[in-house]
Parts: sequence; C-alpha cells; structure tokens
Amino acid sequence: MDNQYVFIVLPSSNIKVVKLQKDTTVSLGKFGTFHTNDIIGKPFGHSYEIYDRDKIKVIRNVAFYEVDDSGANNQETIDDPSKQKLSYQDIEQLKKDGMEGQDIIKKVIESHSSFDKKTEYSKAKYIKRKESKFSRVFTPVRPTLYSVWEYFFAKNPSKIRDMRIDTLSQMLTISNARAYAKLLVVDDTQGLLITGVMERLGGSYGIVLGIHDGEYHNYDIVRYMNFSKKVNDSLMVLSWQQIFKEESPFNYQDESKLSQKDLKFYLRKKANYEKVQEARKILWKGGFDGLLVASQYQPESILDTLVPYLAGSRPIIIYHINREVLVNTCVHMRISGKFLNPQLTESWLREYQVLPGRTHPSMSTSGGGGYLLQATYTSTIT
Amino acid sequence: MYFLSYKTCIEEGDLVIAYISRENMTPLIMDPKLTYNNKFGTFRHSDMIGKEYGTKMPSHNGRGFMYLLHPTPELWTHVVPHRTQILYIADISFITTYLDLKPGSIILESGTGSGSFSHSLARNIAPNGHLYTFEYHEERAKAAKQDFERHGLSDLITIECRDVYKEGFGITDLVHAVFLDLPAPWDAIASAKAAFKQKRIGKICCFSPCIEQVQRACASLNEHGFVEIKMFECLIRNQEVHTIPVYTVKDAVSKIKVQQDKKRKRNEEEASNSKAAKSPRIKQDPPNLYVSKTPTEAKGHTSYLTFATFLPVLDDEIEIIDKVNELD
Repeated sequence: MDNQYVFIVLPSSNIKVVKLQKDTTVSLGKFGTFHTNDIIGKPFGHSYEIYDRDKIKVIRNVAFYEVDDSGANNQETIDDPSKQKLSYQDIEQLKKDGMEGQDIIKKVIESHSSFDKKTEYSKAKYIKRKESKFSRVFTPVRPTLYSVWEYFFAKNPSKIRDMRIDTLSQMLTISNARAYAKLLVVDDTQGLLITGVMERLGGSYGIVLGIHDGEYHNYDIVRYMNFSKKVNDSLMVLSWQQIFKEESPFNYQDESKLSQKDLKFYLRKKANYEKVQEARKILWKGGFDGLLVASQYQPESILDTLVPYLAGSRPIIIYHINREVLVNTCVHMRISGKFLNPQLTESWLREYQVLPGRTHPSMSTSGGGGYLLQATYTSTIT
Repeated sequence: MYFLSYKTCIEEGDLVIAYISRENMTPLIMDPKLTYNNKFGTFRHSDMIGKEYGTKMPSHNGRGFMYLLHPTPELWTHVVPHRTQILYIADISFITTYLDLKPGSIILESGTGSGSFSHSLARNIAPNGHLYTFEYHEERAKAAKQDFERHGLSDLITIECRDVYKEGFGITDLVHAVFLDLPAPWDAIASAKAAFKQKRIGKICCFSPCIEQVQRACASLNEHGFVEIKMFECLIRNQEVHTIPVYTVKDAVSKIKVQQDKKRKRNEEEASNSKAAKSPRIKQDPPNLYVSKTPTEAKGHTSYLTFATFLPVLDDEIEIIDKVNELD
C-alpha cells in the first residue's frame, strides 16, 4: 500500500482521500491521527479505532445487529434535550481524559434518563448517531471502480457528467471492453470512463486511445486506481486537434551539440512528439474494436469523425444525461445506414435496506442514471 | 477464441452470429459445404467466408439480406439455447463492476445454467484469471462444457457437475469473488466463505428473484461474518425513438375548415347535380419532432442483487484456526 491512494471512511461517513506514504502520519481532524506504517501491508476490510491519540487497534466489523422489538413504542417520547444529563463540556472533558470512543458512547447512553423507553429501533438509531459523533473508528477502503465512482459521484456528480455506476458498467459490458481490445474512448468525465476501460483491458493486452478536450487531457480520476505501470502504459491520448492529418513537423537536432540543460528539455519535447505521432499512427491505421463516448460535444459530429476508424461488427456506445441529445443522434444513426439496430435506453437502479422486519427501498436515491445509445457498426453498405 | 479477441475477416470454422432482426439471430459455424436457409432466402457459407465481420450479406437468390456479426458474450446470450433463465445485461454489468472483476480475477459461479453468464465472466477475467463454475444438472453441465470447449474457453473455465448444497464447492482459499444464482444461496454460503482467498477482501453476490430469499440470504451472510450487505435492483428501460409531426391549434382549425368546405361542396353538387371543379389541395408538411417513448410493456423485475464483503481473516484468527487444525 506504500505510495498508494486509499479512501478513509470517517465515523461521520465522510470520505478522505489519502496517498499513503510510509513513515508518516495521517490526521483525521477531530477523530485523531494514525501512523501510516500501522496500516501499510494490512489487508483491506477491517476498521481501526484510534486510542492514546495516535495508536490504532483492529475493530471487528459486523453487518447489522439483530434487533428484538421489546414492545416499546413512541407514545411517551417527548423531544426534551434535558433528558441527556451529560453536557457538551462534560463530553469534551472525557475526550481530553483520553476516554475511548466506545466508552464515551456507553456513558452518553447511561446518562440518557429515558433511553429504556425508546423502541429497540430508535435505540439502534440513537447509538448510530452517537457513534458518528464520538467514535474514533475509521475504515481504509481500497480504490476500485465502484468505490472511486462512489467518491466522485457523491462529491461532485456534474464533473463526471452525472454518470451513475450502473450506466458506466453497462458501457463497459456493451463495448466488450476486455484484454486484447483496441478501444476509442471520448471521455469528458474527468477520466472516469477511461479508468473503467483501462481496468477491463488490464494492461499490455490492449490499447485505450483517449480523445480529449483541450490541449492536454484531464483524466484526473485515473490515478486514484493505483494502476500498475503496465496498465498506465496502455493509455494513449490525442486531442481533437491532433487526430486530423495536419503535419506538425518536429525540429530534430544534433543531441551531442546541446548543453546539459537544453538536452533535457529537448529530449522531453522529442519524447512527447514521438508519443503523439505513435498514437496518431495507431488511430489512422484504424480497425478499432469499439467506440465509447461520454462527451459534451455533439455525438453526431463525434461519430462522423471517429467511426471511420472502427472495424466492422464493433459496438458503439454513447452516454448522455440528457435524453434529447441522444434521440437526435439515434435518428441520425438510422438515416446514415451504417449502424445496425440503434437502441436508446435508460438505466434504472434501486437500492434497498434489508434488515430483519424492516426491508424497504431506500428513502432517497439518485434521480436518474442517464441514457445510453448503442449500435453495432457495420462496415459495408449495399 | 472468438470471445477473447476480434478478427477482421470470416474464415472457415469460425462462429458467425447471423443477424436477421433484433429478435431473430442464429449462430453459424462456417463450413463451405453448408448453406443456411431462412425466409429471406439461401445463404451459402462459402459466400460468407472471406467477408469482413459486419458485412450486410444478400441472399443467394436476392430475396433478402442478413448481417454477419462477430460473436460477443452479449450476442451469445441472444442465441444460446435457453436451458435455463439467463441473466440480463443490466444485472451482468452491475455485478461485474461490484464484484470488481478484471483480467486476472479468480471467480466462483454457481449454478452455471446455460453458461451464458460464464461467457461474460470469462471475457472479463481473461487472459490470466479463472472461473470455477458448478452445475448440479448433469445434462446442462455437459452442454455448457461443450460450449466452453467449442468457444476456446476451456483454459479459463473449470466446470464441475456437483450438488453444492450437499457437497460444498470443494475449494479453499482460492477465489476473489463468488456469484450464487441458486434457489437457496444460504445453504452454500458457508462453503463459499471457505472458497475465498482468506487473507484479502472479497465480494459475494447472491442473485435471487424473491424478497424472501433475499432476507434469508442476508441473515445467513450476517451470521457468517460478511459485512457491507447491500441489495440492489437494476433494469434497463427501453426508449423507442420516433419522429412525430407537430400540429398546432391553427392546423386543428384548418382541418375543420377543410371538412366543412368538402361538405358544402358536396351539398352544392347534389343541389346543382353537376360536378364542381376540384380545388387544388394545398398540403403543407408540419415540422417534425424527434421523440422517444417507453414501450407499453417492459421488463419490470429480473432479480434482486444482494452483495456482501468477505473480511480477510486476521492473524490471530489464523493462529486459532491452526491450533484447531492441530488438535484435529
């Protein structure tokens, strides 16, 4: 785990992204601090409680507690803060005295004069609420496509074009992204889509060619996956400008005549130029195995530009959060005759709470997962 | 190897998915001696060999055409003989991501069913992963095994005919993920737990159509120490794209006027008993609008997807297990 990104889930359920470096400490704000060496090399999955300011111990995780309903009800429940005998200052003092989070929660419950009158469900809820406040338990979470998506979707959904994980997963399946594939990806989702494709290709067994907005790509999300060099090297990029066949000659120089400083600069420039040339050659050679699009640009124009580089019988999959955009593209595809069976779909996802005696769909959920337009490119028209 | 890499041109012995329509596809193994007949005509395999995948192929007698598609696990689900209920693409996709499948993953599947999801899994874990799949129905297991062999997937898939409720999986400390499509997953969870790589985190998915199954599965997962138990339902909703004309109130008024004019003329004609000259019809096409609508009937439920996390065994637990083993 050294030098790797991890997500740290805090007691408040907030998530902090940390790049773990050995022999350092990580501060979790009011929850405390831990030494990176204490978790580096440990398997993911377990939680840790901070004690004595910066020491940690493993906490056994449990899924849910069986709750027996004692028959209590909320008939006598009155909203009255005076029922809690511990004041804010008292609790702060306990914390200062170094009392552990779990013990503070126990104390808070003991000091609640009518805790016994609560129903079992509301007792569980109360404990959970207190835990999020006083517990010092954190959980390191391994970055996976799912956890990385979850983090960015919660943080700023518009940056990933509101793409939901079920929709992203469908794109990866429909595009047949797998080892040995050679895929064209137009990604304006900060690299979320590219990340998924790169992972499914798994490194040296294929090529991911990202066509990006602006002069330099902004696939920020890729790095959080801790990809190996092999996987990172499978990514090639070109800007919209670079894909067109305009010559941009490079001024080759005699390297032996350059000063140390100039040489370094020259070599970097040359390497960049050659990388772009290589990507262009691969694109122009064509025969790509599929096209995935999640872009701000008009899909029809993207199709016109990139479809000539596809081989026959290969999937095309276009995402948009606005259905209207894809309705137009769908009509365009039908008229052109180059695409077999264009289909417009909407993704639907529902999460449920499953607890003994309390199973129901989540009370709040994402409003929509966006739309996908898929078709198969057919090479010959008769 | 059709499912693990693409080819450009069709060769003898290749699997081609003949696409006649969305509802009508058929798998063909290229054999120059054979012809394929459907209501659109005769298609000679020898005419197809050498063509590029994706070719629109006219029939030999010119009555119709079909497309020659490259096989993918998704197309295979359309043409696989349905020996059992198959998984839908929304579920396949979500499960693949949630179980964190990628090249190199080692996964356990039970039951194999028609083997259609196995194709999808094998595609995702190739070239260096492995799928252990279990099917208790002997004929189904045989048929699936044959498909895997024909499709060059034998190196990636180990299939076993086995009653996992009674005998368990017989696998320990090996897999990263488990997928249970069984009527009573709770009877296989203990054995599935042992199959996980014990020193790292793992994911399990139980695929059950009924809510009662979900509740029992969750209770069992909880009992066996799985955490982060989550349940989802996902679907794909089709949108049919149409072009509709946009008529306005003005059009509605003029429509009535036209009808009234017709009536008046007819009355006049009857009265005078002579035919009036036809007035030229001026019809203007209204502007079009591209729209989409949901189909009248759609799939409303496939199955519930219950996921949970397997926790790596801690070092002190390993010591305890070792001690118990020594005592045995």
